[in-house]
Amino acid sequence: MRAVCLLLFIMVSTAFALDTTPLETLPVQEGGRKKPYRVFADESLLSMAGRSSVPIGDEKRSAMEVITGLWLEPEAWISQPLILINNLQLKEAAGLDASRKLFSHEELVQNPQFVALLQKTQAAKRAVKDGKLTGMDKQVEEVGMRLAEFEQLFRGDLFRVVANPDGEGAPWFTVRPDDPTFVALSTAWKENDEAAFAKAAAEFRDALARQAPEMQPPAWKLDLENSYQQAHPFRWAWILYLLGGITLAVTSLRGRKVGYVLGWIFAGAGFLCQLAGFVCRVIIAGRPPVSNMYESVIWVAFGAVFFALIFEAIYRSRFFLLGATFAAVIPLILADTQPLALDSSIQPLVPVLQSNFWLATHVLIITLSYAAFLLALGVAHIVLGKVILGRKPAAALYNYIYRTLQVGVLLLAIGTILGAVWANYSWGRFWDWDPKETWALVALLVYLFILHGRIAGAWAGFGLAIGAVLAFQTIIMAWYGVNFVLGVGLHSYGFGSGGFGYAITFVVVELLFTAAAIVRHLAGKKSAAPKSAAQAVS
Amino acid sequence: MSTTAAPPLTADERRRLIAERKQRSLYWRLVHLLGSLKLALFLLATIAIACAVATFYESSFNAKIARAYIYKAPWFIFWLALLCINLFAVTLTRWPWQKKHTGFIITHYGIILLLIGAVIGSQLGFEGNVTLHKGGEPVGRITTSRSVLQVESPADGALYLVPFDAELALPSERHPKTLDVPGSELRIVADAHSDRLVDRELLTAAGGGGPGISVKFTTAMMGQTLILPFVIRPDGGMERDLFGLAKVAFLPRLPQRPSGPATETQMVFAKFAPVIPDGSERTGVTVTLSENGETITATTPDGKSASHPRQEVAGKSFQVGEATVNVVSYWPDFKLENGQPTSVSDEPNNPAVLVRITGPAATDPASSQPMLEMAPTDSGIAYQLSRDGRIYEKGIANVGTPFALGWADWQATIEQFLPNATIATESGPGPEGVEGVPGFRAHLRAPDGTTGPAQWVKSGALTTLQYQDTFIRVGYGLELRPVPFTIALKNFEVPRLEGTETPSNFIATVEFRDKKTGETKEGVAKMNHPASWPGDPLALITGLNYKFSQAQWNPQDLDETTLQVLYDPGWLLKWIGSLAICVGIFIMFYIRPKKS
Repeated sequence: MRAVCLLLFIMVSTAFALDTTPLETLPVQEGGRKKPYRVFADESLLSMAGRSSVPIGDEKRSAMEVITGLWLEPEAWISQPLILINNLQLKEAAGLDASRKLFSHEELVQNPQFVALLQKTQAAKRAVKDGKLTGMDKQVEEVGMRLAEFEQLFRGDLFRVVANPDGEGAPWFTVRPDDPTFVALSTAWKENDEAAFAKAAAEFRDALARQAPEMQPPAWKLDLENSYQQAHPFRWAWILYLLGGITLAVTSLRGRKVGYVLGWIFAGAGFLCQLAGFVCRVIIAGRPPVSNMYESVIWVAFGAVFFALIFEAIYRSRFFLLGATFAAVIPLILADTQPLALDSSIQPLVPVLQSNFWLATHVLIITLSYAAFLLALGVAHIVLGKVILGRKPAAALYNYIYRTLQVGVLLLAIGTILGAVWANYSWGRFWDWDPKETWALVALLVYLFILHGRIAGAWAGFGLAIGAVLAFQTIIMAWYGVNFVLGVGLHSYGFGSGGFGYAITFVVVELLFTAAAIVRHLAGKKSAAPKSAAQAVS
Repeated sequence: MSTTAAPPLTADERRRLIAERKQRSLYWRLVHLLGSLKLALFLLATIAIACAVATFYESSFNAKIARAYIYKAPWFIFWLALLCINLFAVTLTRWPWQKKHTGFIITHYGIILLLIGAVIGSQLGFEGNVTLHKGGEPVGRITTSRSVLQVESPADGALYLVPFDAELALPSERHPKTLDVPGSELRIVADAHSDRLVDRELLTAAGGGGPGISVKFTTAMMGQTLILPFVIRPDGGMERDLFGLAKVAFLPRLPQRPSGPATETQMVFAKFAPVIPDGSERTGVTVTLSENGETITATTPDGKSASHPRQEVAGKSFQVGEATVNVVSYWPDFKLENGQPTSVSDEPNNPAVLVRITGPAATDPASSQPMLEMAPTDSGIAYQLSRDGRIYEKGIANVGTPFALGWADWQATIEQFLPNATIATESGPGPEGVEGVPGFRAHLRAPDGTTGPAQWVKSGALTTLQYQDTFIRVGYGLELRPVPFTIALKNFEVPRLEGTETPSNFIATVEFRDKKTGETKEGVAKMNHPASWPGDPLALITGLNYKFSQAQWNPQDLDETTLQVLYDPGWLLKWIGSLAICVGIFIMFYIRPKKS
C-alpha cells in the first residue's frame, strides 16, 4: 500500500506551470537511436542527478521541466543543484556539505579542491593502461561524467532534433540558435507565457517534422515509447506480486480457497504487466529484452513467475505461487529503485550481440534457467521457513523443489552449450574457460552434484532445500559476480559496477537463513529421535 | 533391440543380479567401483571448486596463469579423464539396459563424446590469429598463441624450434630454466622474465663521439617523467619531439632568433579596414577609431581593451594589457597626395590615425609549438626557449639544476653531460604501467660452468647471445603456422550506430587462394558470421575447416583488421555430444516409459 501511495505521490508531484506535453514526442537522436524527447529528458536527468525529478527551492521539478529549461534558458540552471555526488569521502575531500546530494555546476567548477580532484583523476586516467580507475578516482570520474553531461546539455549539443536527410545512419543536427520557431519557443519559456508557449511548441514541432520527413521515426513508435516510459509496467508487476504473495501467506491458515484464487489473480495480473512491458521493449528496441543487467534481472523474475504459473496449473499447491511472488519481488524492486546500478534505458547492442537468433536462444534460455533456480530458491525458502518455525514441511514440497531444479538443470545445460556454439561462430572457439563460461559450468556442476546426491540418498528432503539455496549462490556469481566482481573475460559488454553491497547482503542473509534452518533441523531431529527415527529421514 | 526382448527386471531382481555379479567377477567389481555415485559426486565437487578458484586466479593474475595451473594442467586433464571413465563405467553398471535407461545413457555418452571432441580439437586443431591490411600481401601463415624460441644452430646454421613461454615458465635467478642449443654443447640459461620490455636509449661515453647530454623532463601535474639523450653528430645537432607538445634540440650553437617585445605600425581608419604593412612583426592588438574620429579603442588578443578620447592621447602612449599603443598622428579628412598623407579639411569626413604598438608578440595557437634549443658552451649548457620563432626565455643550465620550460608545469634537468658520447639502445624491463613486450633474460653457459654476458631476449625480435667466439642467434615470439592457402583482405567496413562513432559491425571481405591449385574464393567475416576455408558443407560439419572470425580492429587504421582463426577437427564430436546431452537430459526428466 505504501508503494501505491508513493506512486501517486510521484505522479502528483510532477505537475508544473508550462505544459511541455507538445514536446514529449519530439524525436531526438541520442545514443545511437531516435527516442522521444520525454524519454531523452528522463534519461538525461537520471544520468546527471540520479533521479527522475529534482527539488529546486521548495518545488519538485520533473525531468521534462529541468531538461527543457536547460535547453531554452540554460543560464538559469547553472546555479541549480542538478549534479549528484553520493560518495561521502569525495564530498569531504572537496569540502562539500556532506548532508547534500545534489550540487550545482557553478559551485563545483568554482570549488578549487574539487577542480584539483578532477585534474588528478584525469592524470590518473592517462596513467593507467586500460583506462579503468578504482576507488576515489572512479568516484570522481563518475561525477566528472555528470558534469560533462550538464555542460553538453547547457551548450545544447545533445538536443539533436533536426533530421539529417543524408540517410539512416547520418547524425542529426541541433537547432540553429536564431531559428525563428526556436527563438519564439525560448522567449515564451523565459516569459512563462502559457499561451505563447503552446503555440510556439506546436509551430516548432511542425517545422521540425517538415525537415527530412522520410527520416522521421513513425509517430506510433514514439507514442508507444512514451507510454511505456510513463506506465512503469515493471513497477506495477512487483506491487501486484507483492499483493499476491501477502494474500497467499496471510490466508495459508484461514480462507485458503479465496486466498488461492486472489493469489492467482494478483500473480496473473502482475505477469501480464510484465509481459506487456517486455512486448513494448521488444518493439522499441527490435531485439530480445536480455541485453543488460537491468533487462536480465526483470526477465529472471518474469521467468520465475512463468514457471510457477505452469507448475501451479499442474500441481495446484499454492507453494509455487507463494515462492515465486516473493522471489520475483526482490529483483523487481531492485531494478525499480536502483537506476544507477541497473540502467533501464534502451540502448543499441554492441556488435557481438547483434544477432537476434543467438540472443533469443542462448541468452533467453540461460536466464530462464536462472529463473527456474530462483523459483526453486523461493520454494526452498518456504521449507526453511517452516523448519525455523518448528513446523514439519509437507513431503510434496521436496518434490516441487526437485521438479523445479530439473527445469533449471535442463535449461542451464542447453543454454551453456548454445553459448559455446555461439562462441564458436562469433569468437572463433567453442570453449576457452572464459570466466562467464566457467561459472555457468560451475553452477551446472553444483546443481548436478545436488541431483546426484539425491539419487545416492545422501539428501532427498531437507538437504535438497538447503542445496537449492546454497547452489543459487553460484548463480549469483555466474550472473552478477563475473560481470561486476571479477570483471575479466570476453563478456565485457555486460560489465558494470555498483550493487556490490546488495549482492553481498543477499548472500550473507541467505547463508544466515540456511544456518538457522540447519540448527533448528538438527535440534528438531535430536528431540524427535527417541520418538521416531524414520521421521528424520524424510 | 535386445533390451526390449528381455523381460524387464524388477528393482529387486536387478539389485540381486548386481550383488551376484560383483561377488562373482573382479571385472564387475571394478566397473561398479569406477562407476560409483560416490566417485561421481567427488569428481563433480572437485572440478567445480577448481574451476571456481581458477576464475579468481584469472581475475587477480591473468588468463594464462589460470590456464597453466588449472584448466590445462596435467592434474586437471587427469581429473577429466577420470570423469570420462566414471561416466562410461556408470552406463555399464546399468547393464542389462532397459528402455528407462535411454535418456541416462544418451546423456552420459554425450558428455564423453564432447570431452573426446575437446581432446581431438586441442591436439590436432589450433587457434591463432592473423592481422590483414587492405591491399596488402596475401598471408599464408597464422600466428598461434604458443610462444616458441627459434634457435640457430652454430653447427649447421639451421633453425630449430624450441617450445618455450617465458610467461608460463617464469624463469628467475632462483629457478632458472635451461634450454639446449642443437648441435652445440652450450646451453641457454633464462634467469629472469618481464612482460614489459622496452627499448631504452642510453647516453654512453664513446671515444670518437660528439658532445652528449641526457635531459630529464618532468611534470608533476600530469605525473610524467621522460629522459631523453641527445648527441651532436658530425653532420649536426639532433632534434626530438616531446609527446607532440614541443620540439627539443641539441645543437653545436644556439641559432639567432628575435627576442623581446614586437613592434608594429598600423594606419587605422574610422570608415575602412586598417592598413597593416606586410611582413612586419605582429602584436595581435586591434585598434579602432570611432566614426567621428574622437575615440581610440585598442583590444589585445586575450580580450583586454582600453578606450581613450583621441585628443587626450594624441602624440602620447597608452597602455592596453601588456602592450603600449603610441598615437603618432591624426588626420580628420585623410587623403594621399603625391604619396604623402594629408588632411583635405578639418571636418571628420575620413578620420585616420597612425599608431605604433609595442607588446608581446602575437602567437597563432594552431602553430605555436614551443621549442627548447640547447648547445654546449664552456660555462654549461646554454638554452633558449622560443615560441613562433621568438625567444621568451634563455639562460645557462647546470647539470642537476632544473629549469622551467613555460609549457604548463614542465621542467627540464640536464642529468648528464659527456664531451664524447654516443646513444646506445638497450632492452630492459620498463617501469610499472608502461606498455612493453614480453621476454626473458638469457645467457649462454658452457659445460664447464663458465657463462657469456646476459641479454634481454624480446618477443618479436632477433637477439644474438654470445659465449667467447660463438654467436648464437635466437628469435623469440609466437609460433607462425603455415596453412594450405593464403588469405588477403579485399575490403574492410565498420558501419556505425546512427549518429555516433560507435561501431555497429565489422565486415571484412577476404580472398582465399589455394596454395596448390591457385583457385580463389571470396569470403565475408562479420560479427557472428565467420568466413571459412574450404567452407563446403562437409568441412563445416566435420570441422576440417579454417574459420575466420572478427577479433580486433584498429580505430587508427580502418584498413586493418585482425581475425581469429580456428581449425577444430573435434567439432563434429563436440556437436553430436552437445546435442546428445540436451536430448538425453530431456528424455531422462520428461519422457517416462509406459509401465506395463
